[in-house]
Amino acid sequence: MGKWRKKIQVVILLAVFVIGGYAIGTALFGEERTGQIKPGQQPPEFKLADLEGGVHQLSDYAGQPVIVNFWGTFCPPCVKEMPEFERQYEKWKDKGLVVLAINLSEDTLTVNNFVKQFDLSYPILRDVNRKTEKQYGLRSYPTTFFVKADGSLMEAKVGGMTEEEINERVERLLQL
Amino acid sequence: MIALENTKCECGHQNAVGTVLCESCGKPLDKELQNADTPLEMRYDGVARRSQKSNPNIIDRIWNFFSSVKIAIYLIVITFLTAMLGTIYPQENTFISNSFDPSVYYEQTYGLTGKIYYMLGLTRTYESWWFIGLLVMIGTSLVICSLDRVLPLYRALNKQQIRKHLSFILRQKTVFKHKLEEDSEAWTESFGEALKKKGYKVHRDGDALLAEKNRFSRWGPYINHIGLILFLLAVLARSIPGWQVDTYISVPDGDTVQIPDTNYYLKNEKFTVEFYKEEELPEQLRGQNRAKLFETKAVLYKCVDDCADEPGAKPVLEEVKRHDIIVNDPLVYKGLKLYQFDFNLTPRLNAVHPVLVDKRTGEIYGPFHLPMKDAELVHELGPFTLKLDANYMEFAIGEDGKPTTLSREPNAPAFVFIVQGPGLAPEGEPYIYFPMLKDKERFAQDTINRELADKIEIRVDGMENVDFSEATTHLNVRVDRAVPYLWIGAVISMIGLLMGSYWQHRRIWLRVDDGELSLGAHTNKNWYGMRSDVAAALKKTGISAEPKSLDNGGNNA
Repeated sequence: MGKWRKKIQVVILLAVFVIGGYAIGTALFGEERTGQIKPGQQPPEFKLADLEGGVHQLSDYAGQPVIVNFWGTFCPPCVKEMPEFERQYEKWKDKGLVVLAINLSEDTLTVNNFVKQFDLSYPILRDVNRKTEKQYGLRSYPTTFFVKADGSLMEAKVGGMTEEEINERVERLLQL
Repeated sequence: MIALENTKCECGHQNAVGTVLCESCGKPLDKELQNADTPLEMRYDGVARRSQKSNPNIIDRIWNFFSSVKIAIYLIVITFLTAMLGTIYPQENTFISNSFDPSVYYEQTYGLTGKIYYMLGLTRTYESWWFIGLLVMIGTSLVICSLDRVLPLYRALNKQQIRKHLSFILRQKTVFKHKLEEDSEAWTESFGEALKKKGYKVHRDGDALLAEKNRFSRWGPYINHIGLILFLLAVLARSIPGWQVDTYISVPDGDTVQIPDTNYYLKNEKFTVEFYKEEELPEQLRGQNRAKLFETKAVLYKCVDDCADEPGAKPVLEEVKRHDIIVNDPLVYKGLKLYQFDFNLTPRLNAVHPVLVDKRTGEIYGPFHLPMKDAELVHELGPFTLKLDANYMEFAIGEDGKPTTLSREPNAPAFVFIVQGPGLAPEGEPYIYFPMLKDKERFAQDTINRELADKIEIRVDGMENVDFSEATTHLNVRVDRAVPYLWIGAVISMIGLLMGSYWQHRRIWLRVDDGELSLGAHTNKNWYGMRSDVAAALKKTGISAEPKSLDNGGNNA
């Protein structure tokens, strides 16, 4: 009897620990279904094509600091940022900085015409049907996600930035 | 190991620590209780709770914590109170707009208290770790409290001693004493027969008797708890991915969209809204738009091939269900439910089928298909070639004087073609085309196109060449796999409740010592019924006793 009692106690407490731990754990660390991702969280994975048809995944750049920028030709502050990101990318790419500029589901001609005006060397990715922007919980444009080399979000910046503001964040991103 | 208290009864039975009444003969073990003459506390038949031990270790201590009914009540009360806190302001998940920002909303709407409410995390009360934690603790307490009580009770009721100690019998709340004139065994026999007729199970040991009825009602609370535990597990299971979905999709007429995080796609073939006519409305509602019908002709598709999230992949869809969704009549397919939620009557231009007119000859070429998004880049129309050079969804002239777009919705679409053909420059001449008449006038299409406007024209002949979505339907997507388990849990819990409420466990003990009959009876409720059972059986054996006279005090209902 005594042995059984001990066993039942341990089994039940273990079950409580596992089930309860799972339930509380998902409540604590679970991704929020709505809203923008927050610093410290893992940004959602995406798999998008660039202008040449090459496929880029966020996880391709694991271990490197990544700037994920959502932009559209219809958004003047986004447009203004594009050459700034280019200069920052040129400045820091030797340190491993990656810039992924995700277009906000515009059509091919629009994006191509836009990109032609600039000489951009970082990949321009094409979101389809606003899927990725929804995953990222975007509320307004531009929004830029600074992802640390360990894969967690350092900051989600809503709105346009000056080049100094980008530079300051990149330095923080690279320092670690 | 030294036992802290002597738990051996005078009848020779070794009882567990915490036992109140000897498990065998029923004699009170506690000295103080032995000397009192109040009716005995019969809860759990006086057996020890399973976890009561003289030297508890850490596991025992955790176990004992949850085994306490007092703790369980505290947990339930705390849960109630915190659940109430969650109802003060609307919870975050009741807002569906993507632009809803809780960190701003609560302060703006409710001021400082709203800000504090948000800071405390009460805007997500029911998803918070501590609320889930409380539920888990209640669940644990339910399991452990029940187990600790039901097992000893089961054992106690399963091997009951028929001959009980006199102090046990005479300290019940229903007691009868009588001097028998006839043979004690024969009387006991006939009394037993009388009880059998009343539905009692009768056990005899010479001139001692134990009669028992409806023992199963004792298991009611535990069955109730099993149901509640199942209910609680089902609630917790909702956090398993895919178990609970509550999202919204917007589908313009004619579009097919993927239902997020599923393999399903939904096509809105047509959304219809009908309003009541003036004469159909009562006086006081006239002049208002009162909806009569919202209907989405919906088709549900399942992706069968190329479903992976590869860029450029075109999923192969297979129709699985077709349903006209109206309010309270959702499309239901394998646990997936799509409810009519809202609509938007802003039309959206999808495509036009314009023709090219050579104004000099009057010749008409086309029509050609020109969707607002991702149109073909080259159109061959008779001797003319149209090369699409640029397109704008909401045309405007930017600060730098260059054409730009203000949004990505086709609110004021414009197309710039390079036109090659007879009488035109060999490298082609630019021609801007506004499919919507209002834009054509607003931006002075003919002025921009200058002399080319005199040579050619791109225009749409008739509404049949315009493809647009009249409306957008908003649907609520719901999946709740926990519901069947919630029902099962609720039914089991209700069965347990009924078992415990509508039946009572009644027991009668008696013994005859030298012709002196001592009878005690116990039930968990309805003492009136208990006493009348005893009185009726006594009457059958020729002893008349008023049911009321059997009352031995105590808190009898």
